[in-house]
Amino acid sequence: MAEKKGKKKSKYTTVSIPTPLYKKIKKRIEETGFTSVSDYVTYVLREVLASLEEEEKEEAFTEEEEEKVKERLRALGYLD
Amino acid sequence: MITVIAIDALEYTLVEEFNMRNLKQDYYGRTDISEFSEPRTMVLWSSFMTGENREAEILAKGDKEMWNTRIPHEETFFSHFKNPFVLDLPGYNYDLEQHRRERELLKEFFEEKDEERKREVRRKYNENAFAHHRRVKERFFEALEGDYDFVLGYFSVADVIGHLNFGNRSLMKMIYRDLDDIVSRVEGKKIVLSDHGMKAVGAFGDHSDYGFWSTNFRDLGRPRITDFKRIVLQEALGE
Repeated sequence: MAEKKGKKKSKYTTVSIPTPLYKKIKKRIEETGFTSVSDYVTYVLREVLASLEEEEKEEAFTEEEEEKVKERLRALGYLD
Repeated sequence: MITVIAIDALEYTLVEEFNMRNLKQDYYGRTDISEFSEPRTMVLWSSFMTGENREAEILAKGDKEMWNTRIPHEETFFSHFKNPFVLDLPGYNYDLEQHRRERELLKEFFEEKDEERKREVRRKYNENAFAHHRRVKERFFEALEGDYDFVLGYFSVADVIGHLNFGNRSLMKMIYRDLDDIVSRVEGKKIVLSDHGMKAVGAFGDHSDYGFWSTNFRDLGRPRITDFKRIVLQEALGE
């Protein structure tokens, strides 16, 4: 099979984290199945993003709540 | 040098719940704003910087004109300093266009009936607020390196984002963590102060009727927002 010419695009990239945090994670993964700090950080970030996305989806509000907050925002001068 | 980190709508109960150690510093508590008829941002910050209750004067301007308030420098306690730096403070020098745009998007959100478009307006609203917050942070950290005898940075992100997203705990916690980090990077005497807090109305946020304060130098008890003129001048200049 012919190989593609040129630089192969990596699936990974580098991010910086504070050294004390790195050390803290390194210590923590000793009690887990994670084999590297990168794997642990990837896991935590995926969890955080999923939780943010989940909460965005769940943010349904009733008409009554919307009316109530509109009224308050008017009283505070934010809305005409 | 004393630094004031002025945070709009920083909520005492969330600082406790998220256990934000830098926001809490060594001493912290709630401020008493019961003398005001409503916890209005413009009224509270104007009263803070002058050490006087300015409610009647600000409300007399009407809801629209109120946002254009500019208290003259000589009437503020900032004038006691030789070289003060005050960043984006309502009632003094905040970015009128930025905050007008925020109110415009807020209005657009509530006027929109279609759910999908409503989400899109909120996304734009949040993006606009975070972009402003990043700019303010950058200018604040530059100011900390400058030759000033007083620095005040005003951060509106918890208020602006909170009004439409207070029910999103992860997002609010992320904002509080960011604010906590900002405070941790300030050296010397510092005061963290909010005008009012925030309480939930479903997924939205309304102003709560007390503010938050913290210091790394002494216990202030339950101060009024107008007491901070005296507190700052005493701590910084011995006046």
